[in-house]
Amino acid sequence: MNGYVEAGYIMVLGTLSSYGVALVAREHAARRRVGTAAVEESIATSADAPVTDLTSPAPRDTPVVMPGELEQDAPGRAP
Amino acid sequence: MRASTRTVPSERVAVALRVLGVASLVGVVATVWLGLFVTPPDEFMGNLVRLLYVHPPMAWVAFLAYGVASLASLLYLWPRTRSERFDRLAGASGEVGVVFTGLTLVSGSIWGRPTWGVWWVWDPLLTTTALLFVLYLGYLALRRVPGEFHVRARRSAIGALIAFIDVPIVYLSVEWWRSLHQAPTVLNPTTHKTYVHGSMAWTLLLGFVSFTLVYTWLVAHRYRLAELQDAQDTEGLEIALAERRAEAVGR
Repeated sequence: MNGYVEAGYIMVLGTLSSYGVALVAREHAARRRVGTAAVEESIATSADAPVTDLTSPAPRDTPVVMPGELEQDAPGRAP
Repeated sequence: MRASTRTVPSERVAVALRVLGVASLVGVVATVWLGLFVTPPDEFMGNLVRLLYVHPPMAWVAFLAYGVASLASLLYLWPRTRSERFDRLAGASGEVGVVFTGLTLVSGSIWGRPTWGVWWVWDPLLTTTALLFVLYLGYLALRRVPGEFHVRARRSAIGALIAFIDVPIVYLSVEWWRSLHQAPTVLNPTTHKTYVHGSMAWTLLLGFVSFTLVYTWLVAHRYRLAELQDAQDTEGLEIALAERRAEAVGR
């Protein structure tokens, strides 16, 4: 043949196979990252399992004030 | 924020993809073997006709890819069928379409140099095909513009539909304008005749089927990659939230 035909086939097949291999490699890498991230997430959530909602009050280091104490400290009232 | 999209592809899908990959490979190898070694040289073009067993299938797959991307975009824009899957499919098909359009342009150029004497000519078909390539490159760039998921997906879908307007113009340009490029030879829309026969016709047909299978395999893998990237983004967000919760508890 004349070189043009070979060049055309090599260009088409080379590009498609390179793109295909790159896609599969990126897919495997992404799958590994997602797997790692899932493990990290499960560790992070299991360490603090009792508290999962930011809107709920924290269980520790929170001053607990009873209703009776508030009434006792109210101004204008006899001790 | 969008819903979590973490999905683990089933073993059945993986097996189907492997079968599709093997079928594509066998088809392409058979096309190359028939195209290079079995079919006879053309009466006028000689051995250069062998390039035409890959060039028209490239163009066909590019059109198919943009058709799928446009249909998926339309389904995404339609409120009843709106789904992240259609956005991912449109993106995957658009990207594979750009690869095939690039291959169409380069393989056509390699054929044009010994046939017409030039690598490139501003012929209506070539020009509108180059425009199509640039339009879908723009579509891929548009998909990467940061933004809230559904806003980004909506504007990308509109972009894909606008770019698709060029596809029928490319196809019909050889009929509408005086063109250096030859008219369709497989099935001419004007004469309703085919100008390819025998082993040449079968090889060309096999080329169309094989590269369509390659397209399907590539889109499936690109789709799965997009799915994993979305899952990764969602998980990154969930980890960040879990860390913030841990900090709030530790205070």
